[in-house]
Amino acid sequence: MSSVEYPPLERTIDLPDMIAYAGATWDWHRLHYDQAYLAARGLDRPVVDGQVFGAYLAIALRGWFGPHAEITKLSFRFKSLVFAGETIRCHGTLREVADRHAVVDLRVEVADDGRRAVAPAEATVRLP
Amino acid sequence: MTKLLTPELAARIGEQVSYTAPEPLGRASIRYFALATGDPEPAHRTGEVAPPTLICETNQYAGVPRDDDGYAGHGWHLDVPGTRLVRGGNSYEFHGPVGPDDIVTATWRLADMVERVTGDGKRMLVVTSTATYTKQTGRVLATNEETLIYVER
Repeated sequence: MSSVEYPPLERTIDLPDMIAYAGATWDWHRLHYDQAYLAARGLDRPVVDGQVFGAYLAIALRGWFGPHAEITKLSFRFKSLVFAGETIRCHGTLREVADRHAVVDLRVEVADDGRRAVAPAEATVRLP
Repeated sequence: MTKLLTPELAARIGEQVSYTAPEPLGRASIRYFALATGDPEPAHRTGEVAPPTLICETNQYAGVPRDDDGYAGHGWHLDVPGTRLVRGGNSYEFHGPVGPDDIVTATWRLADMVERVTGDGKRMLVVTSTATYTKQTGRVLATNEETLIYVER
């Protein structure tokens, strides 16, 4: 079977998006908004909460497989920080389909410089 | 050289703590999460069904005061001198839909700690935790294996 590469999900993550996500997840860590806290750690921009990439990958998967597909497993490893204002792309490639389950290789890249934010990553999706 | 994985830290492997949300997850929480992540799915936008990763990402259930970093979620508060903490990754398994009426209990377990050396020769302590999320009926909603890494400065 030749591998299928899905159209990437692209998101620009601006500070208001990060503030909204911090509120929605009850996670008020200063890394995500506090300039003085960041400067003391040698960082010049707020750091995107890595957990949000799980949500973005889930959105991408449902876009690729449809709303009736059910994500049963999702795993990912963080490779590099992403900062406020950057654009990311969630990529997915179909690895295999067996017993109505699709296994997808995933990665998240930063659009500007291609650095990998999340990799390796994979998901299992139960097909309708 | 002193090990990062001290006997005191090693003795903590196996610790477990549970948090039960004081209220159902709620439509507003689901809707807010969907809006914040740009989730286009109508059932998420109306708050009828939670996006799958929500219960693994939220601190809603924890009810702990925020620390000096502003963080108000579960933590083991491990003392690993001379290191900085970085996220390793997560591995989720989802066992079925989560709805607004579900009252989530998260049970965290400090599963393992292993000392390793990075590619550039720095020591690191890899901490693996597991979380099991259940609802008020006892049904398991999801599991989460999380890796945090304390890297020598």
